[in-house]
Amino acid sequence: MSELAVEVTDLTVAYGEKPVLWDVDLEVASGVLMAIVGPNGAGKTTLIRAVLGMLKPAAGQALVFGRPYEEQRRRVAYVPQRGSVDWDFPTSVLDVVLMGRYGRLGWIRRPGAADKTAAHEALEQVGMAELRGRQISQLSGGQQQRVFLARALVQHADVYFMDEPFQGVDATTERAIVELLRTLRSNGKTVIAVHHDLQTVEEYFDEVTLLNVRRISSGPVAEVFTEENLRRTYGGRAAFFGRNGA
Amino acid sequence: MLELFDDYTLRTVALGSAALGITSGALGTFAVLRRQSLLGDAISHAALPGVAIAFLLTGSKAPLVLVTGAALAGFVGTLAVMSIVRTTRVKYDSALGIVLSVFFGFGLVLLTFIQRRPDASQAGLDRFLFGQAAGLLQRDLVTMAILGGIALLLMLLVWKELKLLAFDPDYGASLGFPMRALDILLTSLLVVAIVIGLQTVGVVLMAAMVIAPAAAARQWTDRLGLGAALAGLFGAIAGVLGSVLSAEAERLPTGPTIVLCVTAIVLVSLLVAGRRGLLWREVRGRRDRRRLRLAAVLADLRALEHQHPGAGRGHSAAVLSVMSGGALSSLQELERRGQVARLAEDEWALTDEGRTEAER
Repeated sequence: MSELAVEVTDLTVAYGEKPVLWDVDLEVASGVLMAIVGPNGAGKTTLIRAVLGMLKPAAGQALVFGRPYEEQRRRVAYVPQRGSVDWDFPTSVLDVVLMGRYGRLGWIRRPGAADKTAAHEALEQVGMAELRGRQISQLSGGQQQRVFLARALVQHADVYFMDEPFQGVDATTERAIVELLRTLRSNGKTVIAVHHDLQTVEEYFDEVTLLNVRRISSGPVAEVFTEENLRRTYGGRAAFFGRNGA
Repeated sequence: MLELFDDYTLRTVALGSAALGITSGALGTFAVLRRQSLLGDAISHAALPGVAIAFLLTGSKAPLVLVTGAALAGFVGTLAVMSIVRTTRVKYDSALGIVLSVFFGFGLVLLTFIQRRPDASQAGLDRFLFGQAAGLLQRDLVTMAILGGIALLLMLLVWKELKLLAFDPDYGASLGFPMRALDILLTSLLVVAIVIGLQTVGVVLMAAMVIAPAAAARQWTDRLGLGAALAGLFGAIAGVLGSVLSAEAERLPTGPTIVLCVTAIVLVSLLVAGRRGLLWREVRGRRDRRRLRLAAVLADLRALEHQHPGAGRGHSAAVLSVMSGGALSSLQELERRGQVARLAEDEWALTDEGRTEAER
């Protein structure tokens, strides 16, 4: 049994009276590509945000490589939803990717030559090297997503949390992201991604967690991704196969 | 104009206005990018009771005393906005409106109360309403410059953290930066930028000095650093110009004059700036449309040639107008370019050059 990259126990998060996550356990082994799947409002984004300490859980804890996240920030990278920022912000592709270095730079210090080299490499990896000087307002949706991925890559982390990396991207970008996920896995990295397209779960991921406030099931795709489990996750709304998303 | 700067008073006024313009312009860049433009308005209005209370408590009109009072009240105002949003169902814009009007109303009541008092020492506090640069003294200037300098220095020091706050605060939090503390820091800097301008510009219009320079600068550049520098420059130009104009012409209130100057800068920027300028966009649009129209007429003529083979035959403008509308002026332009020949009064045909162009 390989080392646990992420271990969540009894995680409960509530907004007001309403629980968004209820008593969720999650174990992700190192080197695994894990999809988090569930209907809208199932708490997928909340799960990531709670693990990353962005909101305070009512109960439970999350460990990264056996220690609290606060002690392991350097080993964790985060790719937020593409729509969470204003892409009209006056900055360039390279500048956004360099933000991935801010964590290790700490306060006040500015990015230097080594950081720029790392940013170039990451942009190369996502096929955006020649666009590094471009204004982010001029990027397509797929390019925006690749910029966010490059920003996470320059963190040189061991665990990557991605919130809907495939959301609204073109076919080229989708292939590039899949390629990137496989490269990460072959380098022993762990990826935990919120995913919406049920049809590609088996192809893209090794393991899957079905979530709907509670954890319905979690484990290897072949064992967990069954029609019965999906019905339990999505409630009465049946006929998931052959139709995209939730 | 140059001799103005030999004048002690005018030099003080101009330097003071430059200091406030640079500070509010540069820091306003972040407020505008974070869609918090109106926060500046709330802060400046909320500062008024602070000025009055500071005077009532100390009996002093020293700038540092009044500015401290203004800053504290402005800060309390922002805290009030935040706690209203957090604890009630009132939304951000409404909370701003409530705080702005309540604090401003309270400030007006206090000002009236102070002015009714028999002693004469109260004179001049009402200049905080619409601003008055003429009253600026050397010691005011020193206070403004030092406070503004500190605010700008802090901004430059945590520049990359502020960029993170403005662009992607969630990601910043995941990296371990205390985003709420940064938010409070930026708001505090904004409070400083606003209160040092209150005496010159006044609480009513100070928000314009936060919003307008940044909005104008955004038209000229797509880079954050350059944008903040330009906003500072625009703020300084408007400040100096407005205060000098108002000091020269008697009874011209300083705040409104400065605001008119910065408005002029915004208008010019909207019209002519770089790729975003409305004027150039219009010119470019017209050029593109005309090029399309000419190409359409050429293509139509080529198509007619194909349908009616036989050299030298022309076609009437009416026929071409049916195909692509308003063809006559396009035909005349094409004739000037040598791509179309006029065979008779209303008979047009492609020249060799026009044929090559049409087939490109």
